[in-house]
Amino acid sequence: MDNLRSTITQLLSGMTFTLMIFILTLLFSLPLGLLVAKGRMSRNRLLSGATRFYISVMRGTPLMLQLLIVYFGPWYLFKIPLRNLSIGQLDYRFVATIIGFSVNYAAYFAEIFRGGIQSMPQGQYEAAQLLGFSKSQTFFRIIMPQVIKRVLPSVTNEVITLVKDTSLAQVLAVSEMFIAAKSLASTQVSVIPFIVAGVFYYLMNGVIEIGMNSLERKLNYYS
Amino acid sequence: MHVLEMRNIRKSFGSVEVLKSISLDVEQGEVVAVIGPSGSGKSTLLRCATTLEQVDAGTIKIAGRALVSETDGKVLFADKKDLAEIRGMFGLVFQNFNLFPHFSVRRNITESLIHVRKIPRREADEIADKLLAKMGLADKAGEHPCRLSGGQQQRVSIARALAANPKILFFDEPTSALDPELTGEILKVIRGLAEERMTMVIVTHEMSFAREVADRVIFMDEGVIVEQGRAADIINDPKEARTKAFLAGY
Repeated sequence: MDNLRSTITQLLSGMTFTLMIFILTLLFSLPLGLLVAKGRMSRNRLLSGATRFYISVMRGTPLMLQLLIVYFGPWYLFKIPLRNLSIGQLDYRFVATIIGFSVNYAAYFAEIFRGGIQSMPQGQYEAAQLLGFSKSQTFFRIIMPQVIKRVLPSVTNEVITLVKDTSLAQVLAVSEMFIAAKSLASTQVSVIPFIVAGVFYYLMNGVIEIGMNSLERKLNYYS
Repeated sequence: MHVLEMRNIRKSFGSVEVLKSISLDVEQGEVVAVIGPSGSGKSTLLRCATTLEQVDAGTIKIAGRALVSETDGKVLFADKKDLAEIRGMFGLVFQNFNLFPHFSVRRNITESLIHVRKIPRREADEIADKLLAKMGLADKAGEHPCRLSGGQQQRVSIARALAANPKILFFDEPTSALDPELTGEILKVIRGLAEERMTMVIVTHEMSFAREVADRVIFMDEGVIVEQGRAADIINDPKEARTKAFLAGY
């Protein structure tokens, strides 16, 4: 019983990192994804080509590999020693994790946003144009609110995947929940810590599902 | 003064010439119906007049202001500032309404008044409510468009087009997306506007309506104006063979 209690406490402390990775990644990758989507739809060939390539690399290579490259990049490219490297108060391991996750998820979000934006009927743009709305007014007042409603189910999918993907941060030895579970399992010679960790991931995603569902219902005031 | 002046308008899509040097003047208070088979260029003419398409050649003036001018055979479009002002002088009612589904009926009308014309919210609300009452939709102001019938939605879109107090109103087949039993309510609204001497250009397939409401009917086919004149004359007694053939279908 004591074992279980200490397992739960230790996993919960790992969960703070998991939650921080989760929240910060969403905070950076959602707006970045919108920018990337705009770039991808740009008429400027260079810009759309570059973003297309970026998306294809991000989606086409393992996130774990990307995390390693972001982390070891400063050493291999600039010979910056990584031991005890920190940015402000933050351990570079953690910063690299957030950068890696954000640029990766931004690529997925960009494609979701692009799909949503391109599914908007031309008539919405034309009506807005004739009423005198500027391009940015049209985008933020008319188009984007409708796009958010359209893309919400796909975004929920990615958000749920992100919760589980946070466990990949272990490759940079960021002490998130999965690392905690692994070390507990080996010291206790037991599978229980893994099961408890699984329950925690599942509960987190349960909360997300409930939250996103209620958001979807809120946006259901029109069809 | 002509409220609308279109001279020698040409427009091609790729290798297809949709408008072949069309000229059209509309007087203050005049109601002009544009009829013709699909693909005749009538909708394109409207889209050119309302800046949704850029003409290849020709000039357009709305209320005396140059939307498109020509110098030495070069087409010049109004700059951003002029364009914004001229856009406030006309309204367009779309076939598919193009209301903003995420806004209430009232906000569909007030949003541009508040954020484009910088009218205070309370005043904008008053304008919207007055127009909605006129359209018989006073009780629908708080609803979202999806809760309204097609006819009601089209009336909202007419109210929205009227909100900026335009000098001319364009209609692009305003009843084509509606069930037959709903077209009547739209035609009634347009008839009411005609009685108020609103200047209007209406692309329509409703021949009896055109005959009743329009001062002038224009028959277009293959990118040219084939025949035009008093509504009753054209519809009852067309001169051109192509007009006769087209009207025989109604």
